Amino acid sequence: MTLADLARPWAAMSYGFLDASAKRELRRKMIKAVCVPGCQMPYASREVPMARGWGTGGLQVSLTLINPRTRVKVIDQGADDSVNAASIRRFLARVSGAPVTLDTLEADLIQSRHRVPEEILRSDQVLVLQVPNPEPLRPVQPNMSIARQMHADADYGRMWLQLYEQIVRSGRVMQGASYPSMVNGRHVMTPSPIPRWDVPKLHMARHLTILSAGREKRIFAVPPFTRVEPLVFDDVPYRVEDHGGLTCARSGARGVFMNEIPQSDGGSAHEVSDSEWGVKTIRHRDGEAVRMGETWYRDGRFVAPRPGPDPGPRSVRTDADPDPVPGGGAP
Amino acid sequence: MLTTPVADAAETRANATYEAILWAFSRPGMPRRMPHSGEAGVIEALIDRECAVHAADPLLIPPLLQAGARLVEPEAADHVFAGRLTDPALLGRCRAGSALYPDDGATLVIRARFGQGAGVRFVGPGVDGGVKLRIGDLPEGFWRDRARCVRYPAGVDILFLDGEGLIGLPRSTTVEVM
Repeated sequence: MTLADLARPWAAMSYGFLDASAKRELRRKMIKAVCVPGCQMPYASREVPMARGWGTGGLQVSLTLINPRTRVKVIDQGADDSVNAASIRRFLARVSGAPVTLDTLEADLIQSRHRVPEEILRSDQVLVLQVPNPEPLRPVQPNMSIARQMHADADYGRMWLQLYEQIVRSGRVMQGASYPSMVNGRHVMTPSPIPRWDVPKLHMARHLTILSAGREKRIFAVPPFTRVEPLVFDDVPYRVEDHGGLTCARSGARGVFMNEIPQSDGGSAHEVSDSEWGVKTIRHRDGEAVRMGETWYRDGRFVAPRPGPDPGPRSVRTDADPDPVPGGGAP
Repeated sequence: MLTTPVADAAETRANATYEAILWAFSRPGMPRRMPHSGEAGVIEALIDRECAVHAADPLLIPPLLQAGARLVEPEAADHVFAGRLTDPALLGRCRAGSALYPDDGATLVIRARFGQGAGVRFVGPGVDGGVKLRIGDLPEGFWRDRARCVRYPAGVDILFLDGEGLIGLPRSTTVEVM
C-alpha cells in the first residue's frame, strides 16, 4: 500500500466547498434530525466563507445535498434578488456548477431565509430554512442544559404561559414570527422566523423541510406528512396575518403575504413578499406565457393541498422523481 | 476563485446514495433505488474515522476499516451493519439513545427481501395515511423487538437494503403487523 492509495488526488477545492468528512458528519446528523422530527440535533457547523448568522447553517445543508443537476433557488425574506440571496445563490453555483433558478416550480433545492414560497412545494423538492435561534424555550429558559431537559420531558407549560401573558397584556398573541409549533405531537420547535402565515405550509406538506442554525450548531427537520401544530388555546384559535384584502402596489397580486412599505404621507403601500410570485403576476398581466403554480393560500385563506398526486407535471426534468423498486411497495 | 470544482466519482456516488437514504428516511416504507447495490455505498456516504461501528457480517469489516471506522460491540456503536439479520438479539443490543440525547440512537443497516414475508403497515411522520408493504428475510419476532427498542424519542433507526433497493424505518414510525 502506498501513500497515493490512501489519499485522494489533489484538488484546489472540494466539490461543493465542504470537505468530504464535513459532509458525512452533516449527512449523519440530518438522518437523525429526520428520524426525530422537530428535535434539535447538534452538529459541527464548519467554517464557510460567510459570517455566522448570515445563513451558514442553511448553506452547509445546501452544499451537502447539492450536485451538478440540482436546480437551486435562494430566497431572502421572500426576495430572490436581495444581496444576501444573490450572494448565496452565486456561491452555490460557483462551488458546485449547479444551475440556478428564481422559479419555485423549477427548483429542486430551495434555501430560504424567513419565508416559505407561496406556490405549493412538491415531494421532490427540499426546503432548507436558515435559523438564527433554534431554541423555542430560550425566552422562558436561557439555560440550555435545563432547556434540553425540558425537551426531554416534553415540559412545555411555560410556552403556553408565555402566550397567555401576551393575551392578557395585549389582548392577542403578539408572536409575529417563529411561532412555536408542536411537531409530531412531541417536540416544540421554532419554525425559524417565518411569519405566522407560513407555519401551516409545513403541516402535512409533501416536501421535506430541513432547518439549520449554523451559529448555534443545531439542525432539525420536518419530514413530509408530519403534523406541525402551532401552540394555541382551545378558545383562542391560531390566526395568520390578515392579508387577504391587500393588493400589491406593483403587481396587483392579491391574497398572498405582503410587505408593508411606509409612505411619506404617513400611510402605507403593500408589495408582494414572494418576489417571484409578483414577477409572475406582472408577466401574466402583460400577456406572457408563465406557469403559475397552485398556491397554499387562496384570497388570503389557507387551502389544504388536494390529496392525490403532486400538482402539475414537472417541466424541467424527471430523473429525480422517485423510481419504485420492482417487488417493493404494496403486497 | 479560479474554476468550479468538478465532482469526482466518489463524491457523485456518495451524493446520490445519500439522496436516496434521506428520501427513504423521510418517506418510511416507500422503496427507493440507490445508484449501487449493497452496503458499500452507504458506508462511503456516511462512515468515516469519527464513527464507531459494529459489523455482524464479517464480509463488511474490510470496507468499514477502509473507511477508518472503529469496530466496537453493538452497545457502543453509532452505526450497526447487520448484513442479513440472523441474531434476533442484535436489535435489543443496539444503542437507543435517551430522551435527553435522542441523537445517540444508532442507525442499523439490515439486508432484507422486499415484497416477501409478513405484511406490515407503517404509520407516522413521512407517511400519507399508512403504507402497506412486505419485508422478508427477517428473524422471527423482529417487529416485536423493534417495537420494544423504540421509546420515542429514543430508539433505533433502521435502513433495509435489498440489492439497490432501500427502505427507511425511522424511530418515529409505528409498525402494525398485519
